[in-house]
Amino acid sequence: MSKTLISTRSLRKSYGKRNSKFEALRGVTLNIHEGESVAIIGKSGSGKSTLMHLLALLDKPTRGEITLNGHPTAKLRARKLNTIRNKKFGFVFQSFFMNANDTVLNNVILPLKIAGVGHKERRRRAISALKTVDLDDKRNNKASDLSGGQKQRVCIARAIVNDPKVIFADEPTGNLDSTTGDKIINLLFKLNHEKGITLIIVTHDQDLANKCQRQISIKDGRIVSDSSADVEQDDDGDEEIREIVAESEEDDDDDATPDKFEGDNNIDGMLDQKHPVHHINIEDEEDL
Amino acid sequence: MKLLDIIRDANVNLLRNKLRSFLTILAIFIGSFSIISTSAIQAGVNDFIDQQVDSYGGEGYLAIVSKDSFDALEGLTGAMGSGNREPIEYKEDKIQDGMTPITKEQIEKIKKIDGIDGDSLAKQQTLSISYVTSKETDKKYLIGAEALPPGNVKVETVTGGQLGLQADDYQIQLEKKYVSALGYTEEGIIGKKIQLVVIDQFKHTEKTFDAKVVGVIAPGVVSMGYSYTNNKLADDIYAENIKYYPEEYKDQIVAVAVNYDFEKYTAKEMKDKLEDIGLSAMTIDDIIGSIKTFFDVILTVFKIFGFIALLAAAIGIINTLFMSVQERTREIGLDKALGMSSTRVFLSFSIEAISLGFWGSVFGITVSMILGNIANNIFHAEGGFLESFPSFNLATYTIKDIIMVTVLIMFISFLAGTLPARRAASKNPIDALRYE
Repeated sequence: MSKTLISTRSLRKSYGKRNSKFEALRGVTLNIHEGESVAIIGKSGSGKSTLMHLLALLDKPTRGEITLNGHPTAKLRARKLNTIRNKKFGFVFQSFFMNANDTVLNNVILPLKIAGVGHKERRRRAISALKTVDLDDKRNNKASDLSGGQKQRVCIARAIVNDPKVIFADEPTGNLDSTTGDKIINLLFKLNHEKGITLIIVTHDQDLANKCQRQISIKDGRIVSDSSADVEQDDDGDEEIREIVAESEEDDDDDATPDKFEGDNNIDGMLDQKHPVHHINIEDEEDL
Repeated sequence: MKLLDIIRDANVNLLRNKLRSFLTILAIFIGSFSIISTSAIQAGVNDFIDQQVDSYGGEGYLAIVSKDSFDALEGLTGAMGSGNREPIEYKEDKIQDGMTPITKEQIEKIKKIDGIDGDSLAKQQTLSISYVTSKETDKKYLIGAEALPPGNVKVETVTGGQLGLQADDYQIQLEKKYVSALGYTEEGIIGKKIQLVVIDQFKHTEKTFDAKVVGVIAPGVVSMGYSYTNNKLADDIYAENIKYYPEEYKDQIVAVAVNYDFEKYTAKEMKDKLEDIGLSAMTIDDIIGSIKTFFDVILTVFKIFGFIALLAAAIGIINTLFMSVQERTREIGLDKALGMSSTRVFLSFSIEAISLGFWGSVFGITVSMILGNIANNIFHAEGGFLESFPSFNLATYTIKDIIMVTVLIMFISFLAGTLPARRAASKNPIDALRYE
């Protein structure tokens, strides 16, 4: 088995204080290996996005440990964390997060600009990333002029422009119709196969999840199933806390704060649906 | 991220919301315009006063009268309403207008004071000339003239040059207004002789002095429309003036002027030394200080208005940037997720604020300079109120002022920008990306 890239031990994350305290993660232990493609599946409010944020070092766990390449990350300085995210990680989001008024090329350049890469070099690398997603002819277009599928491809180009080890994708097909979504997924897996980039995809889409080597299901802040054998369930079972939290959780399952990311039309129960409801952009039809 | 990238992005961001940025810059513009304009006028006035001071012998010039005369002068003005002095008692041994002459002993003492250039001592006597005329005209004009004050005097001339002070012939630097009246051009009159006629008050005898014009004087505040003569001409006219005076008045000196070593002694030290021998002294600054004070007060008021405008503009900057932090929350979140540090986020908003300040001050200064030049031209044109002061540029822009105003405004903008910049920097990337 290949090298462990990211591993977590007893990850806990809670929001708020005292009565309004909400535990989004309640002890997650897992290892993600280099070159793996991992789907983190779960309903809205299950804690899957919170888990991804912690894995991507965008947030700090309340308790527990995350190690990256065997190094604990808890004591790393903010600057170091920024550098890791900037140089080793790529991000793809459901709602793209592009600078709509800027050109496609400038959007792709952003991580390199933050890294302080020189003008010529970053342009060269951005164009080559755009070639990978087959959009280098659109590089001078305004980002807002692109269709949804094209936008997501630009985001993938932005995610790979820094040659990352890992791509974190949060509902990458959530805003796309199924045909366009499939192409985006194929593109991601192609990068996984050809470049060995580790894929960590957060989704509620079972079809997408099935394409990954490994599926991790999250429910109520715990891993309920993991298709990989390499897993240690962390059932430390602090019954008292669990009960207190369970009470407060019952009535506010839907608007649970940490997981609004996916929370537009993708409500509970979608997990079982074969074809989830997609947002279809009219101009999406012909591209891709 | 490179600084150049941050600066460029900051300006691109300002252009994203053109109207809002423009209005904020406009507010800064008003502040910078009033501050640079008042600074320019202040510099112009000071420049002009300095020129006048130089033409009067500059620093190191002391006009000396007896202490009693000085008190009398102050007492007179006090009696006429300003000031709060007691009226001065009349004394038999004084000249009727209250002026007490400087004694011969005192003059000898002045010359011996350490720091005073004894050779520079000159009697300050107003020459009484009945009229001036020339061969080119039949008309006769009244004229005021006096000996050039001592020291390294450099009178600012329109044409011609400086007096040969110790020359044996009669020389005069003529006030500009007489040139055409006497039938000459400013260039043509140099080297020509004009006639100064002195008619005695008592015996009505008439004497004519043929004086060579060596220069035409630019009008100024200090010269007050006087023409200057060299020592020989002044001495001879004065001798003619007092020819029929009673003997005891002939040698009376009311005022003298000297030069002192201003690099070694302060004016205050010299004044104290003269005070010890019963004399009062005034420097150029004392003489024209009131003009300066007058301008300073007015301009300070305008400057305060400028700063108030700038304060309002600073609040405008805070407001504008808070709005743009709000609008760009997601963008900030993305930047931070992709590894931009809080410091850089802070820096980029600060630079946006500084850019607003920079453009506001550049526009303010540019417009002020254009208007200042137009105003200078209008005022100096025929009929303008500075027509007779060609050397007085109402608005003078110095590099120092321009840089100081720009830096000051950029600094104020930076301070104003720290509030929104801090809010932007403290955004959590996840919360920011979730923001709708």
